[in-house]
Amino acid sequence: MWLIILLCLLVGLFIGSQIPIFLPVSMVKYVSIGVLAALDSVFGGIRGYMEDSFDNTIFITGFFTNSLLAAGMAYLGDRLGLELYLAAVVVFGVRLFQNLGIIRRYLLRKDE
Amino acid sequence: MQNTGGKISIMTICMVVGIMLSIQFKTSSSYDVSLRGTRTDEMAYKISTISKERDAYSKEVVELRQKLTNLENGSGEAIADLQSELRKANVSAGLTSIEGPGIIVTINDNPKAVRLDIDVSNYLVHDYDILRIVNEIRASGAEAISINDQRITAMSEIRCAGTTVLVNQNRITPPFVMKATGDPKSLKAGLSMPGGILDQLTGFLQIKLESADKIEITAYNGVLKSDNSHPISTK
Repeated sequence: MWLIILLCLLVGLFIGSQIPIFLPVSMVKYVSIGVLAALDSVFGGIRGYMEDSFDNTIFITGFFTNSLLAAGMAYLGDRLGLELYLAAVVVFGVRLFQNLGIIRRYLLRKDE
Repeated sequence: MQNTGGKISIMTICMVVGIMLSIQFKTSSSYDVSLRGTRTDEMAYKISTISKERDAYSKEVVELRQKLTNLENGSGEAIADLQSELRKANVSAGLTSIEGPGIIVTINDNPKAVRLDIDVSNYLVHDYDILRIVNEIRASGAEAISINDQRITAMSEIRCAGTTVLVNQNRITPPFVMKATGDPKSLKAGLSMPGGILDQLTGFLQIKLESADKIEITAYNGVLKSDNSHPISTK
């Protein structure tokens, strides 16, 4: 199952590199934090899947709201003159490490 | 494992994340990273304050030079001779504003340049175009020349800096208006020569050449450099 997920990621990367869509340069900062939020919600979803607490609606809605909220915070921070995106970066980074650690423990425990 | 609906969501969202990631990589690799974010605002603000200071200093330089010339005003023939020599020297060095008949040459990029996709650079104004036109103006007997109100002195450079032209360390933008005082007839004749520089550029750039009875050419407001050279004293 993990190979299929990795394959999906690679297919997505390949499709994205072929699509001739370029972001307007002013939006790059916001989309990058949105990407980080999306990555975090994917890892959160995988962890939920391992714990059998996975809920489809929460996963999908979480993905969209996290990305939009992160990009929105970065934009608001730019307007206010505060570097609000730092908060999003810290939080998502921490959660990424946590989720990855938990996923790793589940995988290793299964193999025992 | 159960929960195939969950697997499918995870897989599709993974694909979406992959697409977003590669679009992001594509976009950020295609522009200069060092110009991103708030640093641009800081640098723009710095540029505007420093430019304002530079303009104020330029005005002061012109006024102080004018005051210097005024202070020389005294009586006596020797002083009068000295003053006329000083005036002539200032005029040829470009340190005083000048007024007189002459010509105005205006050049600009060809508006067709946005539509053409072959060799656009031929239809844009380059620093060497301006340089050659100034050369021609000089050869036709000009007494004073200015480009976009920057006085051309013996040491003025006309140089490319990215997409703009630098004259006397000042950035100038199109349309480039070159004013020259002198005999309008010989100036105009010299520039309109068949095979001359304006003839070569016609059809590629927008060119306008007109003569005028009264042209004002502003003084040079920059620094005169003479750190390494000294005049040789003649006895």
